[in-house]
Amino acid sequence: MCGISGVVGLKDVSQLLFEGIRNLEYRGYDSCGVALMNKSRLFIKKDIGGVEEFYRKHDVLQQKSNIGIAHTRWATHGKVTKGNTHPFTSRDGNFAVVHNGIISNYRPLRDQLKKEGYKFSSDTDTEVIAHLLEKFFKKSRNPEKALLKTLNMIEGTFALAFICTYLPGHIFCAKRESPLMLGIGDEIKFVGSDFNAFIDHTKNAVILDDGEYAILSRDSYVVKNILNEEEITKPITKIEWDSETSKKGGYPHYMLKEIYEQPQTISNALDLEPSGLDDVVEMFEKAESSYFLGVGTTFYVAIYAQYIFSELAQKFIAPISSDEFLSLANVDKKTLVFAMSQSGETFDTLSALKFSQAKGAKTAAVVNVMGSSIARMVDKVILQGSGPEICVISTKAALSQMVVLTLLGMKLGLKKKVISKKAYQENLKSLKELPAIIQGVLNERSGFIHRIANKYCKNKNWLYLGRGIYYPIALEAALKMKEVAYVHAEGMPGGFLKHGTLAMIDDDIPCIVFVPPKEKKDLYQSTIHSIEEIRARSGFVLGIHFTEQGKNHDLFSEELILPNVPTLTAPLIQLVIGQLFAYFTATSLKRNVDKPRSLAKSVTVG
Amino acid sequence: MKAIILAAGKGSHLSPFSDTRPQPMIGVAGRTILDNSLELLNSSGINDIFVVVGHKREKLIDALREHDHEGLNIHYVEQKQNRGIGNAVMQVKNKISPGEYFLLLYGDILTANNIFSKIQQSFHAFKCPVASICLPPSNEQFGNVFLNAQMEITKIIEKPKSNSLGNYVLAGVFVLPASFFQLLESSGASMEKALKKMVAGDGLRASMWEDEWLDVVHPWEILTANKMIMDFWEGSSIAKTAILEANVTLQGIVKIEADVLIKAGAVIEGPCSIGSGSYIGNNSLIRSYTSLGKNCEVGSGVELKNCVVMDNTQIGRLSFIGDSVLGENVDIGSGCMTVNRTIDWKPISVKNGKRISTGMSKLGAFIGDGVVVGAGNMIQPGTVVHSGEIIPACYSVTHK
Repeated sequence: MCGISGVVGLKDVSQLLFEGIRNLEYRGYDSCGVALMNKSRLFIKKDIGGVEEFYRKHDVLQQKSNIGIAHTRWATHGKVTKGNTHPFTSRDGNFAVVHNGIISNYRPLRDQLKKEGYKFSSDTDTEVIAHLLEKFFKKSRNPEKALLKTLNMIEGTFALAFICTYLPGHIFCAKRESPLMLGIGDEIKFVGSDFNAFIDHTKNAVILDDGEYAILSRDSYVVKNILNEEEITKPITKIEWDSETSKKGGYPHYMLKEIYEQPQTISNALDLEPSGLDDVVEMFEKAESSYFLGVGTTFYVAIYAQYIFSELAQKFIAPISSDEFLSLANVDKKTLVFAMSQSGETFDTLSALKFSQAKGAKTAAVVNVMGSSIARMVDKVILQGSGPEICVISTKAALSQMVVLTLLGMKLGLKKKVISKKAYQENLKSLKELPAIIQGVLNERSGFIHRIANKYCKNKNWLYLGRGIYYPIALEAALKMKEVAYVHAEGMPGGFLKHGTLAMIDDDIPCIVFVPPKEKKDLYQSTIHSIEEIRARSGFVLGIHFTEQGKNHDLFSEELILPNVPTLTAPLIQLVIGQLFAYFTATSLKRNVDKPRSLAKSVTVG
Repeated sequence: MKAIILAAGKGSHLSPFSDTRPQPMIGVAGRTILDNSLELLNSSGINDIFVVVGHKREKLIDALREHDHEGLNIHYVEQKQNRGIGNAVMQVKNKISPGEYFLLLYGDILTANNIFSKIQQSFHAFKCPVASICLPPSNEQFGNVFLNAQMEITKIIEKPKSNSLGNYVLAGVFVLPASFFQLLESSGASMEKALKKMVAGDGLRASMWEDEWLDVVHPWEILTANKMIMDFWEGSSIAKTAILEANVTLQGIVKIEADVLIKAGAVIEGPCSIGSGSYIGNNSLIRSYTSLGKNCEVGSGVELKNCVVMDNTQIGRLSFIGDSVLGENVDIGSGCMTVNRTIDWKPISVKNGKRISTGMSKLGAFIGDGVVVGAGNMIQPGTVVHSGEIIPACYSVTHK
């Protein structure tokens, strides 16, 4: 999915274009570019990275222009490189094109054009369009005719827009299957992948249908049929909502939307190319020592991975918080450093990886954003494919990383013969059942979690307890609470209690305890023991557990009961509960859920 | 877009107040639930409104005629017999043209923020039928929905037994197409079945509502509704023609309407609303979350706390009314008390048909329209007094 934006108006449009593609960033943000025109000269700037970063780095806003097109890209095929970034220009530099969709017959077209002497600077399908436009323009000297000829040649799906120096002040655009719409203002016209590109400036939209093209100028627009070139009278749709609402797809916040996307992102993680995972497993096997590297949420993902690798592959791997890496790690040529990062731009993690590479260590990473710095620099990268994560608080990306690391642990265990083929298959089955279970929990438990969160939202402190692999779950769930609700929450292993913390337990310090399923006998018993210690001091315990209601009647002050699930995925389901508990506490306290104070999505500074 | 408000049902759980008026005509925070909905609809850009009336329809029509809702075209459609929600919706069938979408609202739903703007935004984003959903304190009385990540409703389970489900529930606000009437027809006018058919067929999307929401089902929920609206108030207002005598103390947010007379020494602790033409006697204490209707008379030395008092009601001197709802034209004699807790602070149950625990440890009485309570009565917590009843005065010394 990519985003297209275009503006033609009276005066400077650079700022409007910037806002347009920034509003489309939810469609993808790994690279972006703009084309502006001043006195019949095209100005093109493009780079990898997000929109804000792009505008910070390049002096685009100063460019004077009354017309421009822009593009933000989320690569699904083809590498994220500057060369592959839109807009594309024709050979003579007179046409600039942005495109969303797939041209299915671009190879034969490209071969033909090459024979005719056109040079290609990228491996994208879009560049073909730019050259075709130039080629047909030479014959007809008419941009509209050139567009129609081009559209006649290409197969596949497209929403495209172009500007050319031969007819300054006009944007040409066309649509087949990929979305495209026009924004109609006085003395200004817009084109965009959806309303968000221009909704802050005009509420009047014309939605293009398949097989239509349009020509926009400052004071007029015309929509025509691609086949017969007849003009079509299109109704103007009044948009009655703001840009934020439509991007959230009906959800009140991105955080909840992304929590609800988790069944899908886990399925995506399970569908990852096995060979990519196998390569990383081999790296783990060869390395004499290994480290898991992450910071914040991803550090907790790293601790989770430590437990998984220990249990399934009998391999102890130390997790190190990226910011402490330089003080702790001893790396050499036989070391593997495996990093986790959503954005792939995390400053501390990048520094730790650079340090390790300088010492000759092997590096690998699981990353969500394709083409990001970490994805490019490590020896082997696993792209988790969770889609853009907009909320500053990470939910779906973290959970998917845990699933990826579980897969890696299983594969390593199988290879080292720690687990049998049968056990491996059973674990795989458990993972495959996870999306449906999470969907069920989201549907059937939200109300209970909401009620409890609402009831206790005024609590100033929470203690989150978990033993074994439930310890990193407690840490991560507590971090969610801190980040989004600004409520102090401390994650801790249950065993720590009597070594100090128990002293502060009274009826003012409520605890949340992640209770493992009964099948994990020892872990279950010791967790229950911790709860009894708290209850004996009249402490409050919210138990998140898998046993039947009423069975532990006196044990919990409040309880959230989960359906019976495989022990492998039980901690992940409890994490979902932790995410929702933090979310509903935050909404009860009327916090700014998607953009908590003082926090940024990807921490790119040290 | 046209809106349809269902206001024909009898709402028997809300007895004694629904015995004498349609449910949406219950007053909270100085106005009726219906007035609240109409105002929100108006500000969400809807002005063509069809109200389906039935039970005690005169009361509703008269009140709306009196109270001018500027900019709204209100039409009434009668449901002759009380044959359920689906049948009530069917009454509007010929008012909606084919292909047209309309907003449907259950009349007893109350929100402080504008749920109608939100559902219209969702409708425009999805371009297909939408149902508002929310998370109420209990799921048992509602349709529980199952969602997928695209906010499509995949299943509806009506009124699950015990607290087995914690799902989002249908919030009683929908945007539906005209073709919904055909679904209703083919489902024997059952709203439940028609919605399920829609889910299985063309689909129904959800619009999540996270702000306060209340379905006023039981009489004590009138108090919850009253508090919900008052908590949303931002500023005080005192009508030009209101008279406040010496030493009247006002605290917090108070709304005092026209021609109110507050005698010397009274203390009003907001949030409170005092309806037009009302009289507050000397040295009265009106505490927070009190909503007093129009033309009420409150004698001297009376204490009111967290209560809804509807129009034309009189409360005699030296009485206490707390955590209670009083209907219209009620006459409370002097020195009466609504006791509002038990000695052991246990949750109070209310016998209104069958006995239901309210979960509230402080609750007074529910006194229907036209009730006369003689002087000196002590009313047990959670008592319901039906409309028109006369309770004799309670004397400790008599002349016999």
